[in-house]
Amino acid sequence: MLSFTLRKLATLVGTMLGIAALTFLITNVAPGDPARLVAGPNATEDMVETIRVANGLDKPLPEQFIIYMSGLLRGDLGTSIVTTRPVIDELLRYAPATIELVLVAMALGIFVGVPLGMLSAVYRNSWFDHLTRIFSISGVALPAFWFGILLQLFFAVQMGWLPVSGRLPLVARPPEPITHLLLVDALLRGQFSLFWTALSHIILPAVVLSFPCLASILRVNRAEMVEVLQSDHVVAARAHGLSSRRIVALYALKNAMLPTLAMIGLRFGWMLGSTVLVETVFDWPGIGLYAVSSALSSDFKPVIGVTLLIGFFFIIANTIVDLAYAWIDPRLRNA
Amino acid sequence: MKKNLVLAAMAAALLSGTLMTSPASAFERTDNGEIIVFAGRQAIPVLDPHVRYDWSTRMIQQAVYDALVKYEGDPAEIKPWLAESWETSEDGKTWTFKLVENAKFHNGDPVNAEAVRYSFERGLKLNKGVAWMLKDFLAPEGITVVDDYTVQFELKAPYAPFLSFMPWWFIVNPEQVKANEVDGDYGEKWLTENAAGSGPFKLGRWEPNVLYEIEAVADYWKGWPQGENRPAGVIYRIIREPSAQRASLQRGEVDIVEGLTSDDYVQIANTPGIEIQNHKGMTTFGIKFNTQQGPTADINLRKAIAYALDYDALIQIYNGAASLQTSPLPDAMRGHIDVPDIPRQDMAKAKEYLAKSQYPDGGITLPYVHVAGLEEARRIGLVLLENLKELNINVEITPEQWPNMVANGSRVETSPAMTSVYVTPISTDPDAVAYQYHKNSWGQYYAMAFYDNPEVAGMIDKARASTDWDERADLYAKIQTQIVADQPEVFGMLQNRRWAHRDYLEGFKFSPVRFTGEVDLYPLWIDAE
Repeated sequence: MLSFTLRKLATLVGTMLGIAALTFLITNVAPGDPARLVAGPNATEDMVETIRVANGLDKPLPEQFIIYMSGLLRGDLGTSIVTTRPVIDELLRYAPATIELVLVAMALGIFVGVPLGMLSAVYRNSWFDHLTRIFSISGVALPAFWFGILLQLFFAVQMGWLPVSGRLPLVARPPEPITHLLLVDALLRGQFSLFWTALSHIILPAVVLSFPCLASILRVNRAEMVEVLQSDHVVAARAHGLSSRRIVALYALKNAMLPTLAMIGLRFGWMLGSTVLVETVFDWPGIGLYAVSSALSSDFKPVIGVTLLIGFFFIIANTIVDLAYAWIDPRLRNA
Repeated sequence: MKKNLVLAAMAAALLSGTLMTSPASAFERTDNGEIIVFAGRQAIPVLDPHVRYDWSTRMIQQAVYDALVKYEGDPAEIKPWLAESWETSEDGKTWTFKLVENAKFHNGDPVNAEAVRYSFERGLKLNKGVAWMLKDFLAPEGITVVDDYTVQFELKAPYAPFLSFMPWWFIVNPEQVKANEVDGDYGEKWLTENAAGSGPFKLGRWEPNVLYEIEAVADYWKGWPQGENRPAGVIYRIIREPSAQRASLQRGEVDIVEGLTSDDYVQIANTPGIEIQNHKGMTTFGIKFNTQQGPTADINLRKAIAYALDYDALIQIYNGAASLQTSPLPDAMRGHIDVPDIPRQDMAKAKEYLAKSQYPDGGITLPYVHVAGLEEARRIGLVLLENLKELNINVEITPEQWPNMVANGSRVETSPAMTSVYVTPISTDPDAVAYQYHKNSWGQYYAMAFYDNPEVAGMIDKARASTDWDERADLYAKIQTQIVADQPEVFGMLQNRRWAHRDYLEGFKFSPVRFTGEVDLYPLWIDAE
């Protein structure tokens, strides 16, 4: 187990450095002068130079790269040229909103996707199966921003059931932070009405974010279940007279979960990336929105910071999936 | 058991969708009164009045800070504010401002001459944001405190537009700023998300990228125009998508929005309870030619293109909420004239000019660059594409991200043949636009044409140094006529400024000199009846 952890840790550090180097290069080859943008449309050349020098942009690119990477090794992600604040502070400010959104979306994906996949496998080729197939194909195919706007128009404007955007109503004060996840904090502080309000705000963005993930979990789970339900051990279990419910829920599902888990791990990272679109549509103040606004103003360090953070969570999620694999399939433990 | 849990979770998810519907609240009420909610697309990363300005930033700066004078009304006029009066010496180099004596900062400190001196010194020394307006004409040493409530500016050279920039130099409280200084940074770090002003509002909640709240100062030294009806505060809320802005307004989650699409404004106008503000602004739209390099260096080709464009289509694209430019200077600017013979569509003339150019038969392809995502600019490109087909000129419509467009436009070699550019002047003084056609402006996005006419530049220099308005007006008339004759760009249209708000929002006062989405929050109030 120790060597497993150490191996994972080394991969983590190596991958993170790789991501940082790559993103640094990509963002810096892109044309556009962030100092000029920050200085404003009328700024004179010497005013632009002041900003350039203050942010180290006057140095040659290789030198900037070395400065950035050595800072990174000390845990310093640099300073945003637009907001003039350390990127790490800003990430800490925005990450909880994204994490909360992704967790809720993930929960939706798993708790709706897995049972639906299971049921459509059990009732294969029935009307239910066809219905879920349409559902899952549209889930993978629908563009998030379009789907988001559609849901806003229907549920918020037409029906007036849910708020259009944001994380809380304007005059509501967030609960005293404990975990910085509003839903959790509201529960821990016993502020139940605030919890419901926060929940009503998170539903639409979480649904939009989870839809493609839910759809792929559903499809993978269905396909696996179909295969497992035809396998010898299930036939044997049926021959032993075990109840159908027991066979499906206990024996078949567990075996069908391996590829589903891999899909969940993959989709977690994908979801973090998708927050860029979903957070923009719903004005969800997370790292996706932060990345978009930074990229639009050629503010590179926050972009690298966000990429690193997403990469970090991606790797962590996949590590957890690896562990879960080992838990579900004992053959993998010593592999 | 597992399945039951799943079912329970699903049921909870569905139920939550139907049960937790909060009724649409018209405006936010608090114990102190009504809060006006303004939705805009643009965040406020840095509030420091001497470091950054754009429309959203300046809207809040104007609310929490005061300046010596303030722009109000349409046409915009400079009104006394912290300064009750001012005078200028005959040579136009010395400006003396007499301050009101009852103004105080939010912490109770008086707004005196020293605060004014410190604020201007700070702005000049930081050399950011507003500094460009005055730095060539004013040194920090040129500002003197005559007495507690009199301050004097000694300019290096006469500079007629001086007063027109004063509304954008906000006064900060030196005591508060100095107390929060880190390593001699003039309190720059602190003022990023804090304020030290004397304006009608003070800062409330500050949640970057989400909302910015300002609270009304009950005993504001200048009083409130709406008296007892003044709001308790304003929340400026970031809603980036026009569709979400529209939905929020219709649902009553916000009281006023700035960023709807042209079509949205038309559609929403008929909604009961919603009013549209539609005013002629100062933002010009032009198609800048690269006048130094490539085919568009040929004036006859530029003229041919200018005569080929269907100008009425520009207005149609904005659903009528725009008016054609009749001069490089917007209509609301002092000294504006309607330049005779400014090109309008005339294909005969267009062909005549083309015949005189180096490309008598056309047969060339010209890029038309616009900011990616600006739908109207793209549609204008399509109009141009259609019109220039008749001249056998092909147009390549190229969307470009704003930072890249600025970068390309900063050098002659990389500036495209045609770039669509919106420009908003910062003051009502004609110099604010005229100087864009001065060679000293090369490298800026609004000077992408790299226009070079020494005669015009000479007149611009002369006009900005003159203290005699009649002489200046005369010079600006000539400048406008000559620029149109040289056709460094297609002079397009002035896009109207529009806002949509609930009908109970009162006190909206438009002034063309404000930036695109900017609203004066001071006179607003809610008619709760």
